[in-house]
Amino acid sequence: MEFRDYYKILGVQRTATAEEVKTSYRRLARKFHPDVSKEKNAEERFKEVQEAYEVLKDPEKRAAYDQLGSEWKSGQQFRPPPDWGSGYEFSGGGPRAGRAQRRGGAVPDEEAYAEEGFSDFFSSLFGGGTPFGGAARRGGRDHHARIDIGLEQAFHGTTSNLELKRPELKADGTLEVRVHTVRVTIPPGVADGQLIRLAGQGEPAADGGRAGDLYLEARILPHRLYQLDGRDVTLTLPVAPWEAALGASVTVPTLGGPVDMHIPSGAQSGQKLRLRGRGLPGKPAGDQYVQLKVVLPPATSADAKAVYEEMRAKLDFNPRADLTG
Amino acid sequence: MGGEEAKNTTGQVLGAEDWMAFTEICRVCRIEAGAVHELAELGVIAPRGSAPEEWEFPATALPTLRIAARLMRDLGVNASGAALAVELLGVQHALERQIRRLERLTAAQG
Repeated sequence: MEFRDYYKILGVQRTATAEEVKTSYRRLARKFHPDVSKEKNAEERFKEVQEAYEVLKDPEKRAAYDQLGSEWKSGQQFRPPPDWGSGYEFSGGGPRAGRAQRRGGAVPDEEAYAEEGFSDFFSSLFGGGTPFGGAARRGGRDHHARIDIGLEQAFHGTTSNLELKRPELKADGTLEVRVHTVRVTIPPGVADGQLIRLAGQGEPAADGGRAGDLYLEARILPHRLYQLDGRDVTLTLPVAPWEAALGASVTVPTLGGPVDMHIPSGAQSGQKLRLRGRGLPGKPAGDQYVQLKVVLPPATSADAKAVYEEMRAKLDFNPRADLTG
Repeated sequence: MGGEEAKNTTGQVLGAEDWMAFTEICRVCRIEAGAVHELAELGVIAPRGSAPEEWEFPATALPTLRIAARLMRDLGVNASGAALAVELLGVQHALERQIRRLERLTAAQG
């Protein structure tokens, strides 16, 4: 596995004080928090920052990490030394009583930082099976993951293979990361951000407890034609000037296949028409909105120019009438 | 790394008709009961039930509650701050959707 330079990740010196570590963490956490950040790779960077802070904020973990020495560089191949963690008073057992830090009512840090989000490097140094690891809990934790699906897949339903990495304790006490494949059938009509529960597919339970559940957050990928808003979709439909002015029957694509739609006479660019029930399935199903966009034919041929000249001559039309006087 | 195959699993899509007990929502969102109580009082989520011990929450509240929980846990924000942030994030996303709609409408011809 690759070494992680936690000091470099947090942008602090190895001699940084606890306050300096905390200040740097708070600044980077705000910068990369995936719920509010627009930075590239925000989620990945945030996890790195979280992991680095998890180690450097804890005097015992920091001291143990410092013992690895300052010669290691991020990305170098690394293996914990044979006597890793020895000499530390805390060994085995459960979470450290009295050290839980509660912020704003959120779950204590020991439980908030599920090992599923941290690297193999962290797990090998501070996970289960080391002096820093907590006791296996009764009843597995719930796991959360995100699944990206296309809009058509959300409409029709889909089956996906998910590969989840899970560190598991072997009989000899070492950690092994196992890839657990779950084939998920997602029913039609899942909306963006909606949660899908897979019972019993979370963390396995120790000693007969109940396995946790796996919660998947559906993220619907952007579509080149449709814009999604809840269960409703919006399609921008180019129309010719005569179709808008005189009215027309046009064929409009929908997620369920093309349908005929009537454009009323006197329609304008930006006007929205509604196709009921043509959005994502559900109770109730979403609608499809068709936003008209009047597109002018190019005046590149002699005939086209002649038509435009005739319109200029015969139509008493000033689009800027409201701007003057 | 070792690997293993799992059987087909049909996911249960959690919708507005699915209700979750107080303890379950705390576990799933990794948030303490006190914080859930505060966020309900602030109007971030709307439980049903006459007393907090009987509260149930619609499953559709989960994404909002998880965001609030993460902001509180990861950034040290209190419940009021998390409520404000969640509301502003909602406004931001709605504005971004509107901008995308307008951009499609005004995009130059190819």
